[in-house]
Amino acid sequence: MRFLFSRVASALVIVIGITVSVFFILRVTAGDPARIRGNLFANNDVLESYRRQFGTDRSMIDQFVTFLGGLTHGSLGDSFRYQQPVTSLVLPALQNTLILAMCALFISISLAILLGTFSARKPNGYFARGSAFIAIVGQSAPLFWVGLILIFVFSVNLGWFPSGGFNGFVDLILPSFTLAFSILPSQMRILAASVRTELDEDYVKTVHAFGIQKWRIYFIHVLRNACLPLLTVVGNDMGVLLGGSIVAEVVFNFPGIGSLALVGLNAADYPLLQGVTIVAASTFVMVNLAIDLLYTIINPRVRLGALS
Amino acid sequence: MKKSYQGRILLLLSTSMMILIMFVCLVGPFFLPDPLAFDLSAAFRTPLSADHLFGTDALGRDNLSRIASGGRVSLMVSILGMLGSLTIGTIMGLISGSQFRILAYVSDRLIDVQMAFPYILLAIVVVSITSSSLPILVLLMVLAGWPSAARVIRSIVLSERPKDYVKAAQIVGADQKRVLIRYIGPALIPAILTIAPLQASAMIVMEATLSFLGLGVQPPTPSWGGMLLDGKVYLSQAWWLTTIPGLAIAITCATLIGIGEGLSRKLHGDRSRRIDLESNFISKLSNKK
Repeated sequence: MRFLFSRVASALVIVIGITVSVFFILRVTAGDPARIRGNLFANNDVLESYRRQFGTDRSMIDQFVTFLGGLTHGSLGDSFRYQQPVTSLVLPALQNTLILAMCALFISISLAILLGTFSARKPNGYFARGSAFIAIVGQSAPLFWVGLILIFVFSVNLGWFPSGGFNGFVDLILPSFTLAFSILPSQMRILAASVRTELDEDYVKTVHAFGIQKWRIYFIHVLRNACLPLLTVVGNDMGVLLGGSIVAEVVFNFPGIGSLALVGLNAADYPLLQGVTIVAASTFVMVNLAIDLLYTIINPRVRLGALS
Repeated sequence: MKKSYQGRILLLLSTSMMILIMFVCLVGPFFLPDPLAFDLSAAFRTPLSADHLFGTDALGRDNLSRIASGGRVSLMVSILGMLGSLTIGTIMGLISGSQFRILAYVSDRLIDVQMAFPYILLAIVVVSITSSSLPILVLLMVLAGWPSAARVIRSIVLSERPKDYVKAAQIVGADQKRVLIRYIGPALIPAILTIAPLQASAMIVMEATLSFLGLGVQPPTPSWGGMLLDGKVYLSQAWWLTTIPGLAIAITCATLIGIGEGLSRKLHGDRSRRIDLESNFISKLSNKK
């Protein structure tokens, strides 16, 4: 219970810290949104009217109070550029990004379990060598390059998949494989290592002696125990997925959080940018929290002290 | 016996490969055509054509000299980023592994916050504040890179602290600071050496990613990521504009990973510890991609 409390508290502290710092840092130093909104030759009156409309003519503390007031009823302010509530822009984008991330996670976990288990079975076999090669390529090749190559091969040359946009399930295939490829190496190595240590345990010999089929031993008895370390890696991978999906979104023109953040950056649209940042960081913190809690449920030996 | 032999070969091969890459990037630009000189009549030459081994881009600039001088920028920025993030990471790792309660708590939370923040978002925020330049790029890479190093150092400090030699030092009267720096410090060196090449390879990918998003090295200065960004537009006409810089990144990173692997086989004979260190670091490292 104490563990739960301290985890939730520190997650809250992190989210609040990020919110406050993003709000002030953006306002102190970023460009004047009125100038970017108005055309090049806009005179002072026009700029002033934009400033009044955006609220950037008021003091920063004043703006922060308004922002906090908005937060209490779930509003993140209005986007300067799109002239509509930030939440109505960020939430659909977040949904798309999460769909993409979940697809990638599913693909990579399935592949990690298959490749990891098989390469742990024969550490010097062809399978293990092949997986090690895939792992090295996945670690060395930048995600966006993999994405470009996939587009080149599968949409430009073969024409099997569309190269971008998000209109249906087919559009998810290339970006999610690209993303999956970037988190696969660490998952596969961890799983292979933990399957290998599990194989030395006595219970494996026991079930073997009982005459249970090999695939059942591997995929039912061993895997259940070997998956624990995988779970912590998955927690870390959520960060990779969120960050990586920003890149994948740019490559594949996918309407997610990342594309939105870049629009916000180019338009000096603070409300949009801070909305995206706060929502993305909170999502990441919450997912990590959920994974930590899940970990304690699955493995009761883990307490706060033992975890670190 | 066989293992250490393999490790030595791996280390030898990847180190010589790295020296070759650095040689091409550092010395190459003196002998190759100007990477910025454009000649529209020579646009889109395919690789292996006369005068242009790697072909030319949309403006007729020589791809090979762009790879070489882009590599110079990428390697320089990545090495600086690696040094900076390892330094800060080591210091913060020592602090959060220490027995200074408050300091350790603060630096733990700092690591958490930093890790909770996808570095590309951080880059977008920072670049929206200041326009991008090379020092800012290095700063971003240091900011994004130190927590992974700090976590590894912290876990080693925590595992070294209960050992007898540390207790002996404390009994002799060494204070906390002295124990950390003089006694535990040397025990960190193999780990730092092992993660340094891995960190450098992560930095190269990071530089390329940021430049690809237009947040890193700005044109006309060539960089590997920037070349991929330029080449993306011509994906269907000129495959070499994306394939070659990508291969350059991938080969360099694979070489650095090879150095890391070879070093760790040499430095940590004990296999279980090695796997623990590596997988620990890789899982922390991947957090930033």
